[in-house]
Amino acid sequence: MARRYIITLLLFILFIIENTIVVLFLPEAWQTRIVPHLVFVVILFASIYDHRHVGLILGICFGLLQDVVFYGAMMGQYSFAMGLSAYLIGLVFRSRRSSMSVMMIAVIVGSLLLDSILFGIYTLFKLTHETYAFNLLDHIVPNMIVQVIFALIIYVPLRRQIEKMATKRTKEETV
Amino acid sequence: MFISVMGFTLGSRVGLTWPEKFVKDTVGFIQYVFYKPARSVAGFFEDVSDLRSLELENEELKISLAHYAREKPKYNAMEKQNEQLKNDLKFTEDQKNLNNYDYRIAQVVSVNNDASNRTLVINLGSRNGIKENMSVTSTEGLVGIISRVSNFTSTVKLLTSMDSSDPKSKGISAKVEGKENETFGIVDNYDEKTGTLLMTRIPLDSPLKKDDIIVTGGDGGIYPKYQIIGKVLSRQKGDFGMTYTATIKPAANFVDWKELFVVFTPEVKE
Repeated sequence: MARRYIITLLLFILFIIENTIVVLFLPEAWQTRIVPHLVFVVILFASIYDHRHVGLILGICFGLLQDVVFYGAMMGQYSFAMGLSAYLIGLVFRSRRSSMSVMMIAVIVGSLLLDSILFGIYTLFKLTHETYAFNLLDHIVPNMIVQVIFALIIYVPLRRQIEKMATKRTKEETV
Repeated sequence: MFISVMGFTLGSRVGLTWPEKFVKDTVGFIQYVFYKPARSVAGFFEDVSDLRSLELENEELKISLAHYAREKPKYNAMEKQNEQLKNDLKFTEDQKNLNNYDYRIAQVVSVNNDASNRTLVINLGSRNGIKENMSVTSTEGLVGIISRVSNFTSTVKLLTSMDSSDPKSKGISAKVEGKENETFGIVDNYDEKTGTLLMTRIPLDSPLKKDDIIVTGGDGGIYPKYQIIGKVLSRQKGDFGMTYTATIKPAANFVDWKELFVVFTPEVKE
């Protein structure tokens, strides 16, 4: 069980890093365009290799954290978008033996899904007036690329850890 | 359920509840611990790459310092005279202090990673006297307003979220620097595509032209006077031909955050 707490703690540290350090080391011209959601990538891993319910809960928790800390016009949008997309990705790619390429496809689809849901919410509440095509080229696709690269880097260690966690839990359940 | 949360929080709320404040302060503190060393490391690399342009900048600074030294006695004399005139006209204490703003330095704690809803967190909160709707500037110009306050941190909503079709987003009354009495306009929209602000409702006889510096006018309450907004790029005929609109390049560049200043306006006693 300790491993699970460690993963949550790591997610929290990652959340801090993506909003502070990542921003600083990007070139100025990209700072408004590349805004990767690294936490979401890890949540996708948990959703696929552990269980989709884990992804849902982590998505809602960290989404809410993001909403509360960066409360501009409204809150709840991240909580909803991250929870829903992590759950859906977990539902679609549910095999625990997913290979690396399947995982990368999951990250691509998941990133597109998250940003599209966010765009939908902002359009619904009239917080953005740009077209979807503009948003897609402006930050959704660049974000997706960064997130896939990040997923490639963390793939091996993270998958091992999460699978250990998952098998341990199934053992506990069967005993 | 989420839709209702979004709808509820979209409206105007008085403040934050205590769990929100607690989470915000805790996360804000940890973010600050991370941001500070990272900032200094990034700053070091930046300094190295800036070394070449340093000489040029130094020269420019010397020139502007000379300007400043020349203007300073004139300014002092005029300020004295102004004060004297105010005394003669029997201004009340409140009226006299109206434009004495207090600037407090704030460190950026973290930046939101959302392109459509750009906010950032600074390390001053209600304990330091911050209130909602105070305006925030950088060394270059106006940056945004405080949107939410907790005890030790507060969230800044950037000017880039300004939107003329949103009834809750408030426009800034703006004037041209040096021609404050003849010019007027309202800056109320930000264009994400071109990264420019739009100033509308400029009268036809306005002497506004390209490369003028636009400053806040101070009417309307929220934004204090004489904060630099940006530079005029072009001016066009407005929607109905009765007014002009102008495109403005914001003075603050909204990236690469360092220190920010919160503008404290003097309290009006009731």
